[in-house]
Amino acid sequence: MKPPVFEYRDPRSLDEALGLLNEYGDDSSILAGGQSLIPLLNLRLARPDYVIDINKVPGLDTIEVLPGCVRVGALTRIRRLERDPKIRAVAPALSDAFQNIAHPQIRSRTTIGGNISHADPSSELPGVLAAYDGRVQLTSSSGSRWVSWSDFFVTVFTTTRESNELLTAVEFPTDQNFSYEFEEIARRPGDYPLAGVCAGISLDGSQVRAARLSAIAIADRPIRMTAAESALVGVDISNAAVRQAASQAAAAEINPMDDEHGSAAFRRGLVSTLVKRTLDRLAGVPS
Amino acid sequence: MTIETGVRRPYVGQNVLRSNDPKLLTGGGRFIDDLHFPDMLHATIVRSTLAHGTIEQFDAGAARAESDVALVLGPEEIAATTGLLPCVWLAPGQRMTHIPIASRKVSYVGQPIGIVVADSRAAAEDAVEILDITFAELPCVVDSEASIAPGAPLLVPEWGDNICAQVDAGDPRDEIEEVIARAAHVVERRLRIQRVAPNPMETRGLIARWDAADESLTVWMSTQTPHHCRDHLATALALRADQVRVIVGELGGGFGAKEHLYPDEVMVCLAAMRSGRPVKWVEDRVESLTATLHGRDAIHRARLALDADGKFLAIHSDILGNLGAHPSNVGLGPFRVSMGMLPGPYHFERAGGSLTAVLSNTTPTGAYRGFGMQEATWVRERLIDEAARELGLDVVELRLRNMIQPHELPFTTRTFQPYDSGDYPEAMRRTVVAARAEANVTSVGRIRRGLGFATHVEFTGLGDSRSQQIVGFSLGGYETAKVRVDPDGSVSVTSGVTGMGQGIETGFAQLAADHLGIGIERISVRLGDTASAPYSATGSIASRSMTVGGGAVVTAAGKVRDRMMAIAAHQLEISPNDLELVRDASGRDVFQPKGSPDISLTWEKVAESAWLNWNVPDEFNTIGLEETFVYNPASVSYAYATHAVSVAVDLDTGLVKLEGYWVTHDSGVMVNPMICDGQVLGGIAQGVGIALYEGMRWGETGQPTTTTYLDYVLPLSVDIPNVKIEHMVTPSPFIPGGMKGLGEGGTITSPAAVGNAIAAAVPEIAGLLLETPFSPSKLWTMIDEAGLHV
Ligand SMILES: Cc1cc2nc3c(=O)[nH]c(=O)nc-3n(C[C@H](O)[C@H](O)[C@H](O)COP(=O)(O)OP(=O)(O)OC[C@H]3O[C@@H](n4cnc5c(N)ncnc54)[C@H](O)[C@@H]3O)c2cc1C
Repeated sequence: MKPPVFEYRDPRSLDEALGLLNEYGDDSSILAGGQSLIPLLNLRLARPDYVIDINKVPGLDTIEVLPGCVRVGALTRIRRLERDPKIRAVAPALSDAFQNIAHPQIRSRTTIGGNISHADPSSELPGVLAAYDGRVQLTSSSGSRWVSWSDFFVTVFTTTRESNELLTAVEFPTDQNFSYEFEEIARRPGDYPLAGVCAGISLDGSQVRAARLSAIAIADRPIRMTAAESALVGVDISNAAVRQAASQAAAAEINPMDDEHGSAAFRRGLVSTLVKRTLDRLAGVPS
Repeated sequence: MTIETGVRRPYVGQNVLRSNDPKLLTGGGRFIDDLHFPDMLHATIVRSTLAHGTIEQFDAGAARAESDVALVLGPEEIAATTGLLPCVWLAPGQRMTHIPIASRKVSYVGQPIGIVVADSRAAAEDAVEILDITFAELPCVVDSEASIAPGAPLLVPEWGDNICAQVDAGDPRDEIEEVIARAAHVVERRLRIQRVAPNPMETRGLIARWDAADESLTVWMSTQTPHHCRDHLATALALRADQVRVIVGELGGGFGAKEHLYPDEVMVCLAAMRSGRPVKWVEDRVESLTATLHGRDAIHRARLALDADGKFLAIHSDILGNLGAHPSNVGLGPFRVSMGMLPGPYHFERAGGSLTAVLSNTTPTGAYRGFGMQEATWVRERLIDEAARELGLDVVELRLRNMIQPHELPFTTRTFQPYDSGDYPEAMRRTVVAARAEANVTSVGRIRRGLGFATHVEFTGLGDSRSQQIVGFSLGGYETAKVRVDPDGSVSVTSGVTGMGQGIETGFAQLAADHLGIGIERISVRLGDTASAPYSATGSIASRSMTVGGGAVVTAAGKVRDRMMAIAAHQLEISPNDLELVRDASGRDVFQPKGSPDISLTWEKVAESAWLNWNVPDEFNTIGLEETFVYNPASVSYAYATHAVSVAVDLDTGLVKLEGYWVTHDSGVMVNPMICDGQVLGGIAQGVGIALYEGMRWGETGQPTTTTYLDYVLPLSVDIPNVKIEHMVTPSPFIPGGMKGLGEGGTITSPAAVGNAIAAAVPEIAGLLLETPFSPSKLWTMIDEAGLHV
């Protein structure tokens, strides 16, 4: 369990990092928190010629709570984010999701950029990003572009990031009309979930104006459950039957597959349960 | 080693702090990977990537040409210079009795086939990638039922099938069948215990150093059985036993998996002899999960027969045991013990089992904490709960009605287990009272709650050489202790058992201090070095260190004390009967005539004169203060316990939360109650792993799919509830000191208690709870099929 031979680079500026990425591109891996890359190297599942360690690049560990969005620099550690009171004030579901990632020791290393770039379909933050309709910033030597979550995640461990690009920031829009809840089912606390749901609704009194429901660990990337979202628009959220109907709609529209951790039917059952629980909470009803 | 002072005497029964902990907690513990030698090389083992096949070519040319590679050995070269490892426990008719160190035939993924030695582990792993190995692939079989199906791929084609041996235990089959045939009720189930990995925190590992001038091999090794490994190393490498020295330093757990010598460990020693330089190899976690012996993997078709009043008449199980690619050192052992321990603490008119042990293209299975007894308890205690459910009886009442009563002990079971002492019903009553008073069993909404019970009797302290001869277990069942008082009055205790984190060093110091009659701070316990420790064939397995090893310490310490007393009495010119050894006001250990506190002789003074051989009794025919005692116990000892656990099952997710846990446990005299609690608790954690989380799996082509902790799920500390442990103390009637074995009880019963609790919480699926582990997906599916999802 030792990594294959690679060359190590530790750029001291963003420009230097982007220059190295330009040069080595597909032959390199970016090292951020290392909590996914290092195991992959040790198991020899990743075999880059170059490892570009971005931990010494200044200016990438920012937290900005702006009007209308939370914007976080790629190198910001999850442990810092989960304890940030400003984030909790505007996006409590996001703070909850942070705490569902792995264990405190691992979160002390894990970066938000590494977590999102890794694009594990069971990973929490991509699902939250989907529910918030968020986006990521990709930067190369020739400039930056913002890419919405739906254009970013392609499939398991695959994104539309070009090999010369660095993910530099992640943005969660905070529309104050929306309230969100996040919940997941994991075998043990800290595990990747068997299923997770992030639900957001915007209310007019108790009438739903708009709904956003995302799920993780159900498909090869985070998904939005649009049939369930539509079923909620215009209904009275205090009505239990309505919430039940939305959870059934969610279970019906997803297409999970049987795998080692459970059957498709099990996954549907979990998503239905999670949609119901998150909506119950959004409606102020204890589950 | 330092031991806390100021603890009251006697030390036995006190929570003396564990002597090794300060070192371990401050980073001073030295495990194999902490040891470094000048000029040391690093090895990696070449392993089969195929489940079944033959190696057609092993070309190491490119690897040998690398400047940082020192040595590469392939299967042919290794086989040519090594002997076979014998299985020490053979079953009648067992078709495979020895294990080759390396062979061209591969039978599981992970099987060691060669070794690469280089300047660093990374370089060695790089070199493995440029070996040119070609395999001819054969069809494989992983599952035991598939292994006995007609047309199954054969591991040993000459046999014509995959059956390694078939043995029965207990009453004759026809007598059992006759009783079952006339029974009013028969509960029959197919129960399964999954394959699990032992997962010691420190994986296996060793450093081997060959001294060419001295022609001696020194091996620092992570093992529970240094002498056993020494003997087998000598056999495998054609050396004399005295040329091999095995040293165990700190040992980060074993759980049975380190009870023998593995072929890959022989390869490392061979590489050291060939290269002339020290060679280190430490198993990585993927290897630990695939190349260290597994435990369990048995299918039981079991029956419990009862009369119309709920009296147990017979119990029988047809066991299909999966040996993996070859029988382990202990052969069919765990499955055989399952048959022997199937009756538990209950009366039966007839009892027994029939075992079919088969080969498959998987990692071999062998010893793991609980050794067949966990499986037996799972089968019996689930069957009893099922019987109670079918007959509408209370699960506790049904058990108590059939239990062996204390006045009936000693009692020999239908499977020839001579239970020694205790009160089985009392352990159950105490647990039941505590659990029923405290457990929350109120179901709320979609959360169902239930309380489950299970109980067992446990074979502990493998011993007495005569019984081991009868069952064909070719290791001596005794233990030896050496106790020496040095001229300055300090005491060293050596024994052939090993410390593996269980705290045996502290327990031995407590025993020695009490039986010498002195302060514990004088005592140091040295274990694990074959050059200085007394010979121990069996080592630290089967919960025997404290029983058999401790029995030897008690007796040897008593003999040294008698010697000290005789010398002191001689010097004070009184009879030893009129003398006492006390701690005086200034904290010194002194000999005094009874009732005359003004006259005294210090412990040091007596020790000094003994070694000078001045003023010692004339009748002494040896000089000095060293006693060696070889203790061969009269029998094994039997511990027992009842566990209760309360669970909450979420019907919508299939998640199980353990909310409360109660144990009443009797392992005889408790030398150190804190350590006893730790053993019970740690055992429960491993049992909870079996009940809810753990399991090795293989894909179609025999590739293991649970090769890291991402996929092999162990319980975390948060998954283990608080456990209330109550101890009963029924001394062993024959072990000096009265101890019984302690290490495995927690693991043996907890899975059955958890299974029974889930059954109590969700009775609609009780009849389906037959195969551990109960993952959320498995339970959710049962709950769904029972119509509990609306
Ligand atoms: C025991 C354990 C449990 C875990 N449980 C969870 C869990 O429950 N949920 C969860 O989401 N995760 C979990 N993880 C994964 C953990 O959160 C990872 O660390 C995270 O997914 C990757 O973040 P990192 O900063 O460590 O990235 P690294 O490991 O450094 O990199 C991961 C990948 O992203 C790439 N990368 C990193 N930064 C950038 C960047 N700025 N731009 C472009 N590419 C980049 C790397 O090249 C690499 O391919 C767990 C990990 C462990 C060890």
